[in-house]
Amino acid sequence: MNDVFLLARTYVATAIRERVTLFWFLIFPVFLLVVLALIFGRVGQEGEINFDVALVNQDAGSSDPVGFAAMVVDVFDGLAKPQVERQEPLFTLHRADQGEDPAEFLDHELTSLRRGRRAAVIVIPEGFGSSVFGQMASSESEGTPLIVYMSGTSVASEMAAEIVGQVLSGIDREILVRAGRFDPADAVTAETVWLGGGDDETLYVDFLLPGMILMGFFVNGLFGVPGAILFNRDRRILRRYWVTPVSVPRYLAGFSLGHLALCGIQFVFLFLLGRYAFGATVSFAQPAALLTLILGAVTFMAFGFLIAALARTANAGMATANILNMPMMFLSGMFFPITGLPAFLKAIVYVNPVSYLVNGLRVSLGVESAAFSPALAIGVPLGWIALSALVASRKLKWDVER
Amino acid sequence: MKALRALLMSESRILLRDRMAFFFTFAFPLLFILVFGFLMGDIGNVSESAMGIFVESGVDRTHLDETLAAAGSMAIEPFESAEALEAAVVDREVDFGLAWNGEALRFFYDANRVQENFAFQQVAQGLTTDFDLRRQGAMPSITVEPVDVGDVASTGWFQLVLPGILAFSVLSSGLFAVSGHLTAMKERKVLDRMVVTPMPPVALLIAIVIVRLIIGYISTLITLGVGVLVFGLKYDVSWLRFTVFIACATVGTMGFGTIIALVVRRPSSASNLANAIAMVMLFLAGIYFPIEFMPAFLRAISRGLPLTHMANAMRYATGVMDMAEIEFWAITFSFLGIAILLFPVLARYAVRPSRQ
Repeated sequence: MNDVFLLARTYVATAIRERVTLFWFLIFPVFLLVVLALIFGRVGQEGEINFDVALVNQDAGSSDPVGFAAMVVDVFDGLAKPQVERQEPLFTLHRADQGEDPAEFLDHELTSLRRGRRAAVIVIPEGFGSSVFGQMASSESEGTPLIVYMSGTSVASEMAAEIVGQVLSGIDREILVRAGRFDPADAVTAETVWLGGGDDETLYVDFLLPGMILMGFFVNGLFGVPGAILFNRDRRILRRYWVTPVSVPRYLAGFSLGHLALCGIQFVFLFLLGRYAFGATVSFAQPAALLTLILGAVTFMAFGFLIAALARTANAGMATANILNMPMMFLSGMFFPITGLPAFLKAIVYVNPVSYLVNGLRVSLGVESAAFSPALAIGVPLGWIALSALVASRKLKWDVER
Repeated sequence: MKALRALLMSESRILLRDRMAFFFTFAFPLLFILVFGFLMGDIGNVSESAMGIFVESGVDRTHLDETLAAAGSMAIEPFESAEALEAAVVDREVDFGLAWNGEALRFFYDANRVQENFAFQQVAQGLTTDFDLRRQGAMPSITVEPVDVGDVASTGWFQLVLPGILAFSVLSSGLFAVSGHLTAMKERKVLDRMVVTPMPPVALLIAIVIVRLIIGYISTLITLGVGVLVFGLKYDVSWLRFTVFIACATVGTMGFGTIIALVVRRPSSASNLANAIAMVMLFLAGIYFPIEFMPAFLRAISRGLPLTHMANAMRYATGVMDMAEIEFWAITFSFLGIAILLFPVLARYAVRPSRQ
């Protein structure tokens, strides 16, 4: 039994010592978890997102009986200051300097918007204040619109324009309330009902973390297993094992144990990072989740053996793994929703074991609805394990050809 | 000149025979855009989403219908009961739901659609405001006129992603081409034999560059063509800028690749290192998600990455983003500068027999 544990220890130690292996197994999943959690976990949260917005007030000198234009300016000025200490304000507001020609400033800001340096440009046109005043007096008159320039090819610009629109709609409501045209007490109640989960929306990091852990296992199996076997075979290291009392089954047992231990290390790292750095709340301490994790680690390890069995050399094995890596990861729902795919890509989703494992793990953690029946969710990964074991037992060569 | 011609012939043959290199040059960018095109084509495009609606019987729905009619191109699907609507939201038959009982608007969301709910909630907020004003017979005092400043009609976020993918494919092919090829030649001892011939080391690098440049250029044209034909993306390509940029960016990134060839010994290590560098840049360069979504420190890192500037230059060359002409040429010629600076120096150290 000692030799099995020794082989397992060797596998883990070698993986950790290899800088490239360490990068793909540990650093890259951690990097991706951090980047995606920092980016998508913050979308829509005030104090976590900042847009460069320009404000041009062309109505400053005109007769505005109530000061509506100044009211708009004040609100945006307020939003350009951090609402909470040490947090970023919602907008970084760019205004014309004193004495600067407003037309020139507007031209400059629109150019900046086209060049992606501004997310939106708000223009309060001349006559805006008196037009709003006129609207108050007679709702029939056509108002002078406030212009919001945005760039349709930029998601950030679209989002900024949407937020600017909401801010303006808030100002509009305030004006209507003050004018006695809108009764806030009679405003309709808007309720939010979250379905398919708990009482609130699932946290992005709770959705992301199970995917990242399985991604770690997947990369580990896809690159680690064929890499370790084929490079050791091609460099004739495996040959040295076969002159010792270690048999192939015992080598396999040690190798598999080491591989699963590495998956365990990955899990612990990612889980601790998700829980303590990003506030993940999902609990993996439940039988269904643990079984899915083990099934995932074994499936991906078996998949690695399949690649090792089919590749003639280590370089060919790595190339095959590289080809399969991206499509299998992205066509599984690990990162993006996979609804609306055409039939030929859906076919890949249905044969892809990652799809079933990612969905299965998320379902077991209560952060996603079941997309497949339980029989398929377990059957497809088990089918891949059986197929891989069959092919590997027949085709995998444990020594270089003489 | 004779040596260069011979090297050009042999490099072309090597590339044409190398199925893997062929796959990564032609099929990989295509695979990338086919997968991402279908996955990301509709992300953030709320106008393509569907909202389920249920109105209790006997309740006045006039204002709600007016509000929904003014809501744009979003599909509205009626339901017979609140339960049926809830089930449809959970089963993702509709993206989100709205129930009106005469007193409150209830919006139903699938709690697990974490990447999309933010956009649906924004739509819901807009609907509520409009509905509220209509109910009380109030007209908005402030009207907003949105103006799109883009020169090219937007067909979604993917229109901006594709030039980013092209830039990424230029970067990765540049990084891999020299590093993987030279280390493979070193490992097979081919380089040892070549350097003892009268071949100048720089001629080998020039031959690799010319062959990969032509193949890489054809690959970007195919990828762009697929984006236009399969996904209906619209580009206003400035062919002069596009061609010069690809040429300069490819040789510049090959310069970076030569540094990799210097520091690693095995081809697998070279491709692993190049892959790792490219992947980290891919996620930080604003290719898949806007830089504005990142925290301040990641935005600063992003602005320091060559891929960020490559992606922006490629967007400019394909007409989907504006940029100062001088900035575009500054980016383009900085890559050329990197190549001019690195190639002769590194040719001396990278193109030499393997270390014993």
